[in-house]
Amino acid sequence: MIPIKDWGLVRIDDRLIHGQVIAVWVKHKNFTRIQIVDDVVAADSFLVDVLHMAAPAGLDVVAESVENSVKSLLENKTPQNTMVLMKYPKTARMLYDAGITFPALNIGGMGMGPGRKNVFKNTSISSEEYQVLKSLQDDGVKITFLSVPGEKSKDFADIPAM
Amino acid sequence: MINIVVVSHGNLSEQLIKSAEMIAGPAEEVYAVTLQPGDKPETFSQKLDDTMAKIGDQEILILIDILCGTPYNITARQVLKEKVECITGANLPMLIEAMLSRENTSVSELAVTITGVGADSVKNLKPFLKRD
Repeated sequence: MIPIKDWGLVRIDDRLIHGQVIAVWVKHKNFTRIQIVDDVVAADSFLVDVLHMAAPAGLDVVAESVENSVKSLLENKTPQNTMVLMKYPKTARMLYDAGITFPALNIGGMGMGPGRKNVFKNTSISSEEYQVLKSLQDDGVKITFLSVPGEKSKDFADIPAM
Repeated sequence: MINIVVVSHGNLSEQLIKSAEMIAGPAEEVYAVTLQPGDKPETFSQKLDDTMAKIGDQEILILIDILCGTPYNITARQVLKEKVECITGANLPMLIEAMLSRENTSVSELAVTITGVGADSVKNLKPFLKRD
């Protein structure tokens, strides 16, 4: 049995690292590491350089494929100082199934688009994503919509079924 | 003349250009690209591509609002183009100087100059100006 780690933040945000993440979350929680879990980003060495260049001193930004992220996260010794960042609910599901059993999941933003329903501020989800999030909730994950600390939040449990 | 593109979170870039015009005169061949609240990264990316396409194959200096965030994450890739330079930390002195100094120079030289202007524009006044 893999012990449940107390992650600083496990977050879904389709913008990944953006102004809110660096300016607000990192300062608020004293993160020392951002682990981006995304196969496409991990394979884009130019974008990884761009993200590294933007990281303030003392903040380690790592972008790895889902497979390599699982290894890194299982070995992570400072989970409370780590932000785990991904674009899609399905990635969160894959991490969870691989043994990264986070107790809470933050949804910071998912953009609008065809077949997507706005559920909170700048967050829209498809019915497929709803089902994935619902399955995580059924496994005991507390899912919260929140852009930045201190702002109004909403529990996933309170949105109508899709 | 070297074209200038200012990219920002919200309307800062548009307003920065308007403010620069008060000092440097009409901003010709100066463009703003904004990321609006709720815009997906793809939306911003499309706006940037449209502006770059409109300017075409010319020298372009891009001023980016901050060294992080979606405008930076997406715009930074433009440095892979030979005739494009990108600088972060866009402020009014940088834009004014860029508008006034973009003749008879190359975009790479202009980028070095404007980066220096930005760095020199930040001063903590009290240590210099206080009277004991």
